[in-house]
Amino acid sequence: MTEKPIVRVSHVSRYFKRGSERVNVLNDLDLNVPEGQFLALMGPSGSGKTTLLNLIAGLDTPSEGEIWVGDRCVSTMNESQLARWRNEHVGFVFQFYHLLPVLSAYENVELPLLLLPLSAKKRREQAMTALELVGLEDRNSHLPSQLSGGQQQRVGIARAIVTDPTLIVADEPTGDLDAKSAHEILDLLGTLQRSLNKTILMVTHDLRAARRADRIQHLDKGRLVDQPDESLYEAG
Amino acid sequence: MKFLMLIFKNLRRNMVRSLLTSAGIMVLVFVITLIWSILGFLDMATSEKAANFKGIVTEKWSIPSQLPFSYAATLEDGAAREESDVKPMDSMTWQFFIGSVDKTNIGFSTFIFAFCMEPKKLLTMMDELDSLQPGPRATLDTAIKAMEGNRQGIIVGQKRLAAIEKKVGDKIKVFGINYRDIELECEIVGTFPPGRYDNNTCINRDYLNASLDAFKAAKGRPHPLAEKTLNLVWVKVPTKDAFSKMSNQIDSSPMFAAPPVKIETASSGVSNFLAAYKDLLMILRYLLAPAIIITLTVVISNAISISVRERRKEMAVLKVIGFQPNQIILLVLGEAILLGVVAGAISSIGTYYFVNRVIGGIPFQIAFFSSFPVLDGALWWGAAIGFITSFAGSILPALSTRSIKVVDVFSKVA
Amino acid sequence: MGDKKSIVLETLTNFISFVSPFFFYFFSLENAWRLIPVCFGLFGLMMLIVYVAKIPINYNIRNLKVRYRTTLLTAMAFILVTAVLTGLMGFINGLKRLAQATGNPSNVIVLSQGSTDEGISNLAFENMGDIAQQDGVKRQNDEPLCSRESYLVLSLPIAEPVPGSPTRRLLQVRGLFDPVASAEVHEFGLISGGEWFSEAGVRPSADPNKAPLVEVVLGQGIARQLAGDRAKAVKEKARNKDQLEVGDTIPLDTRELVVTGIMKTEGTTFDSEVWAKQSVIGPLLGKTNFTTLVLRATGPEQAQKLEDFFMGKDKDFKYEKSQVNAFTETNYYKSQSQTSIQLLVGTILVATVMGFGGVMGVMNTMFAAISQRVKDIGMLRLLGFSRWRILVSFLTESLLIALLGGLIGCVLGYMCNGLQATSIIGGGAGPGGKAVVFRVVVDWGVLGIGLTLSMLMGFVGGLIPAMSAMRFKPLESLRG
Repeated sequence: MTEKPIVRVSHVSRYFKRGSERVNVLNDLDLNVPEGQFLALMGPSGSGKTTLLNLIAGLDTPSEGEIWVGDRCVSTMNESQLARWRNEHVGFVFQFYHLLPVLSAYENVELPLLLLPLSAKKRREQAMTALELVGLEDRNSHLPSQLSGGQQQRVGIARAIVTDPTLIVADEPTGDLDAKSAHEILDLLGTLQRSLNKTILMVTHDLRAARRADRIQHLDKGRLVDQPDESLYEAG
Repeated sequence: MKFLMLIFKNLRRNMVRSLLTSAGIMVLVFVITLIWSILGFLDMATSEKAANFKGIVTEKWSIPSQLPFSYAATLEDGAAREESDVKPMDSMTWQFFIGSVDKTNIGFSTFIFAFCMEPKKLLTMMDELDSLQPGPRATLDTAIKAMEGNRQGIIVGQKRLAAIEKKVGDKIKVFGINYRDIELECEIVGTFPPGRYDNNTCINRDYLNASLDAFKAAKGRPHPLAEKTLNLVWVKVPTKDAFSKMSNQIDSSPMFAAPPVKIETASSGVSNFLAAYKDLLMILRYLLAPAIIITLTVVISNAISISVRERRKEMAVLKVIGFQPNQIILLVLGEAILLGVVAGAISSIGTYYFVNRVIGGIPFQIAFFSSFPVLDGALWWGAAIGFITSFAGSILPALSTRSIKVVDVFSKVA
Repeated sequence: MGDKKSIVLETLTNFISFVSPFFFYFFSLENAWRLIPVCFGLFGLMMLIVYVAKIPINYNIRNLKVRYRTTLLTAMAFILVTAVLTGLMGFINGLKRLAQATGNPSNVIVLSQGSTDEGISNLAFENMGDIAQQDGVKRQNDEPLCSRESYLVLSLPIAEPVPGSPTRRLLQVRGLFDPVASAEVHEFGLISGGEWFSEAGVRPSADPNKAPLVEVVLGQGIARQLAGDRAKAVKEKARNKDQLEVGDTIPLDTRELVVTGIMKTEGTTFDSEVWAKQSVIGPLLGKTNFTTLVLRATGPEQAQKLEDFFMGKDKDFKYEKSQVNAFTETNYYKSQSQTSIQLLVGTILVATVMGFGGVMGVMNTMFAAISQRVKDIGMLRLLGFSRWRILVSFLTESLLIALLGGLIGCVLGYMCNGLQATSIIGGGAGPGGKAVVFRVVVDWGVLGIGLTLSMLMGFVGGLIPAMSAMRFKPLESLRG
């Protein structure tokens, strides 16, 4: 790997207090992700993969260690700085899409842009471009309830890329979709990665989905592991 | 702008809840508007004015005040004796004639409460009538001219006219109740503009005084009330200083020995009369109005907390994509305040137009006030009440969104 | 084909005429206490149904507990509405009790023709003698037992008025022709230590340069109020700071009134009056006429007969010599409750509107409760709970909130019971009427009305959401 890593996780631990007991979710973990890479994070339930994703995406802060994304140290920002940083640098794709039901597809995509100092015209251009990229420009005025699951997820992806983020974070993006739609969504993510050179971090426990990535990283009990027990994923 | 749209769309999402809440806001604001109008009107009536004082001259000790009419001329001059003494800018005399259009059946459909006065003073001295719009003023002026031409002419308020089932142009006979054995034969020459004087009647004072003289001529003895016919005199003075000078003139005048008289400002006269209603007004002001406002806050708070609880996940998503906690709080506050301000404004502005234009005032009897206008303040009260109550009701639910964790949005499967 | 509108109207009129007697029966305050057993009875019946039909009420109660904040907020609306309503009704009830307690059924009050209020009455002295001589009037020492009175209102300056508050107190004074006869007619005693005024009605002042003092007796209520009107220096020296006592004086221009006795008039309108000798106080105030003649009849029946006689209700047997208005005292003071009727109407209006607000609140709560529990309801339906059971369970939930709020509101409202208040009672329009001092009475009737309103709000506010819950189809709601 010759490229310089865009995500650097070094000596990160995360633990929670449950009563008087300390629960370690991540233990002294190191991970580098080079720019433009499509990385799949896999692991059994409770392995800490979502926690790791939360930390990298700036939704949570580590108990120990440092996380750098680009030239910014995410792990030392406060809540308000994190919110601003997420808005500009991270695009999120969720398992259950999480579109606002009262807003149209277009308005959902435009939502993150409202927080940026952009003119209405510029916002419109950017949101329409994002919708075109996911192939939904003709559905821009539909409400989420009028779209299929796959279409809703594509709107979700459009919303994730509309701010041209450094990093796209996807949490089980195909978990709630049928096989065909899942396939399409993964195609779309692959295309975005290649054509826009986006770094994508995807959490999944569906091995077929993971195999579409450039690199698969396994987690178990809060540590990265090289040789996963593949039987763990058969269910997915 | 886009924020506002998002707020608006959120309100439209649960139409039932938004409608129920605004209906609650509207009815409660309606009642507060009525209560505040009554209180505000009484406050205005009892607050000392800085200029253009109206002074009321009455019997010093006794109520109802009954003075001989011979006091009238001197009092209309403010008891001025010297060149340097203060004279009123304007004045009027009041004689109350309570009567019935049916001698044997005295009741709501026959009752007449009239003030006997100089007709032309209606337009210069009487509250509200002295500031009419040109149209109604001209109409009233025509009736006044008719009264001056024919001293038996009377003006009857519209509701009273309807109650006695008469119309303008009809002739009526009014049998005295307080003036026993005085019968006035009158011709209705006009009505008052709708509102405050709906139940009143105005009779030319010359006619009452002439009737009392006629009684003496016919019976050979004066009427028992002959020397007690002047109930009060109003004088208008420009300044507080002029008022106190006139007060001295009246107090020191030898003219008013039996019975003695006093002059007080209109506001203090009214507030003395209202003293007996003190507790009632206190209840309205400090118990009922606040209780309604708190109820309103509770209703709004309830609705907003429900909305917030239902949308915690959505708000978490907004936070994830970069919305600041404060922006989420604003979103919730904005939703409540938009609802509160719009519903409140519609209600109080609607009350203003409906009560003032359609009903012609709030019918409520306190002392000698029987109808209250909805005050101009109502045009903004509703919005203000809506703003304050919805802010108070939604601030806690709004702040509770701070506890929404961004990590909550991810699937719990992993 | 009948006009649809008129059918609707007719049905509505029929409904109202059917319902209104019940309404007035209960809202007459004397009967309203019965609403309490009615409320609890209906609620008990509901709980019985819940028990017998094995409705999973624990589920609803558990939900109320889990969502305790919403439950409390909703209950708060009920508490406020009920507390305000009971407080206000207590005020009105107090006024009404006062008017009712004042009249003596054996007394007949005679006023001049057309007068419904003592304030505008004007009786000729020469007529009063003949009126008192009529049959049915009780005689004592071969004289008719009657009280000749002159009711007048005195505008008394307050010694050191607080700026912005009234500068004068309107004092109701009753001048009596013969105090001994009047005391017998009205049957008021004096609190021990006092005495009725002397034959002269005046007594010499301690200061020989001053005019004689005018003797007065007064009601306890007004004695308390006048005590508050005194100048600060006087108040500090007073034996009793809260009430005028025998021997205390009230300044009136250049003269002084001296208290010789305090009347046992608590709970009547006379408690707000000052009584003096008419021949002294009348000329002092420039009022020499009489306003009122109170006759003591030989009994309540004779009193009613005298009223009919003077009012000319009986064609063959009526008073011809002069025209007067006469009422038994009971009827007269009943007619004085006009003010409380106006207040009652106002209160009902306000209560209705506040109740409407409360209904909106409870509807929101219940709609939300139901939408949160769509899946639960679907499951209950799948388990075999019928529609009406779902309806009853949700209705019970809102009624529980209403009962809780209503009871707390009643307790708060009850705290107003016994507070001293002032108001005006009068027979109708105009500035007439009497200023009175009375106590707020929150009794079972008032509490009954408060509780009923609360339960009614709970019922109306709960019914519509509960009906919507009832309509869910089990499978669809499970899919949610």
